[in-house]
Amino acid sequence: MNETASTIRTFISDTFFVDDFAADASFLQTGIIDSMGMMELVAFLEPTFGIKIQEEELVPENLDSLVNVCAFVARKRTQVA
Amino acid sequence: MCGIAGFTLPPALTEERRSEAEAKLRRMVAALHHRGPDALRGVLQQGMALGHARLSILDLEGGHQPMRDEGTGLTIVFNGEIFNHAELREALAPRYTFRTRSDTEVILAAFLAEGIDCVQRFNGQFAFAIHDPRDGRLWLARDRFGKRPLYYVHDPKDGFSFASEAKALFAAGVIEPRLDPRALFETIHLWAPTVGRSAFEGVRALPPGCVAQLRRGDLRIRRYWDLDLSEERIDRALTLDRAADELEALLDDAVRLRLRADVPVAAYLSGGLDSSLLCALAQRQLGGRLQTFSVAFAQKRYDEGAFQQSVAAALGTEHHRVQIEDEEIGALLPRVVEQAEVPLLRTAPAPLLKLSGLVRSLGTKVVLTGEGADEIFLGYDLFKEVRIRQFWARQPGSTARPMLFGRLYPFLPASRRSPQMMRQFFGLGLEDVGALDSSHRIRWTNSGRIARFLSPRFVEGLQGWDPVEELLESVPAEVRSWRPLARAQYLEVRTFLSPYLLASQGDRMLMANSVEGRFPFLDHRVAEFAAGLPDSLKLRGLTEKLILRRIARDRVPPQVWTRTKFPYRAPIAEALIGERAPSWARETLCREAVDEVGVFDGDKVERLVAKLDAASTSPSEADDMALAAVATTQLLATRFIQGERFGADPALVQVEAS
Repeated sequence: MNETASTIRTFISDTFFVDDFAADASFLQTGIIDSMGMMELVAFLEPTFGIKIQEEELVPENLDSLVNVCAFVARKRTQVA
Repeated sequence: MCGIAGFTLPPALTEERRSEAEAKLRRMVAALHHRGPDALRGVLQQGMALGHARLSILDLEGGHQPMRDEGTGLTIVFNGEIFNHAELREALAPRYTFRTRSDTEVILAAFLAEGIDCVQRFNGQFAFAIHDPRDGRLWLARDRFGKRPLYYVHDPKDGFSFASEAKALFAAGVIEPRLDPRALFETIHLWAPTVGRSAFEGVRALPPGCVAQLRRGDLRIRRYWDLDLSEERIDRALTLDRAADELEALLDDAVRLRLRADVPVAAYLSGGLDSSLLCALAQRQLGGRLQTFSVAFAQKRYDEGAFQQSVAAALGTEHHRVQIEDEEIGALLPRVVEQAEVPLLRTAPAPLLKLSGLVRSLGTKVVLTGEGADEIFLGYDLFKEVRIRQFWARQPGSTARPMLFGRLYPFLPASRRSPQMMRQFFGLGLEDVGALDSSHRIRWTNSGRIARFLSPRFVEGLQGWDPVEELLESVPAEVRSWRPLARAQYLEVRTFLSPYLLASQGDRMLMANSVEGRFPFLDHRVAEFAAGLPDSLKLRGLTEKLILRRIARDRVPPQVWTRTKFPYRAPIAEALIGERAPSWARETLCREAVDEVGVFDGDKVERLVAKLDAASTSPSEADDMALAAVATTQLLATRFIQGERFGADPALVQVEAS
């Protein structure tokens, strides 16, 4: 597991009190994170990785699993760089 | 309204055993003192001890219990009201000579006439036990929706004991209070124990709408009534106008029966459609003498005070209100749990405990209240979700259809309302809209997240057990073939109305201060009429309780009858965490105290408390519910398990032999 994934996983475990979850599990459908929780996740990603997330980017393809979030963060950081 | 208790006795009693039994009965009745402070009595008879704590409402002089029929020896203890007692009395009078004006004696007479099937004739709220010394049988019954409680412990060797509240069973010493892991697991998923459990191992609840008979140690439970929402009952030809006229006449009659009492009857007024309509009907019948009672919240996001004031002013009621602060909710929670005897995912019962205290302090013993309207007339957002999901499932690829959920939850941040996110969140169960539980899957998934906080040791024995599955298996087969809204209604009544709303938030919070609640919307004639209405007269599009609005239009201010339902909620984290939190919360939520009780994981709870304490925004619902579950479980464990005793001095109970 790379550092980004591990940082995000730790955040999710700490914030939502889940011990373990599959990297490709849908946060919303499996109930790992609820609707309010998605906002907490976004509020964490922006300062932690120095990215700015646009409204139209708030879609499941970018945010609704650990794998998706990692890929999304990686893409955003390339853009910033 | 009252408390009842009893237990089986061996056929022949030595003097010593007899005085033990008497002391035990005294302790049980004394533990129910809050339910009936007006008289505490008991009787020891052949094979059975029966006890009663009385709140005198009807026939103040003659209605004492336990009540015995001299001819047969049949003896009853009864908690509740039979509202149509006057009509039944008239029908029974040719065959039975009444000695009192009480409804208790009407039950005895009806039971003598036709046995336990007499419950079918009762319009009321009741839990009663009848001992028949002729054949040694004990009969138990509970009203259709479970407005009155009844718990029991059944040990084929040691005998059978029952009581209105579990605390009386613990006072009797027939069982030690131990939290039932399954009941706890069930509560954090479904919000309440639902299939006959209580929160305690070995203590069972007689389910609503059921009768039971105990004969030679063998207990048989039978359902005599269930909510029937099948398609065949629906009268498609009904127009809104005609249905509204019929319903208004029925509701008016339901109110009329519930104003029957030898003491004044007041009403709760939340400021919503249902209670406002009830108050209007009651005020008209009482000719302007109605007193109304409301809770106002110091925190504006929970408060409906302005609506309450406008209804009270428009109806000209004598209005009283209590205002509640966050920290008071925290301070009241230990007493809430003592009364409710279950873990809670909400603190909303606490303000109602304060409210019943106000009612009682002004000398009132009975209130009308609006519970049930949202279940039978489709008031909750949950039912709107069902409708949207059905509509969406017909074209699952639609991006516009899921956006309708945004109308239900305008507080969701705009950015969350992308079609894709709506799909991910509300689409749970979309592939399977025909499943029995599709309506409740989101709710139960959300509350089930609390299981993350359980200690690994506590859940060890529960691996592979699914409370949702158990509940669904207990639902009658025909319910599966009903339309989606009807299935959702049935589950809502079974899992929310009966075991939570009427119990933890209803009976227990009222009876804690010796106040009786009466529920006109749950008159079974009203519920059965509602079941026969086309859904479109209840939920039209996304407008809830259409038919009640039509009736209310001419009776309550327009800002009330046009209002969208405002959920009744109370603060949780704000009441339990932070500088102004009560000291019990700090003590009982710390890691050591949590680990000592052993239900939840002390480390996780510590992190949850730290997260909520540090938060600058309002807590998420998930965190709030988890905190409520932990705090109330801790209270339940410390108050009950660690041996606290409740109630009056057992010496105050008068026991006689017969």
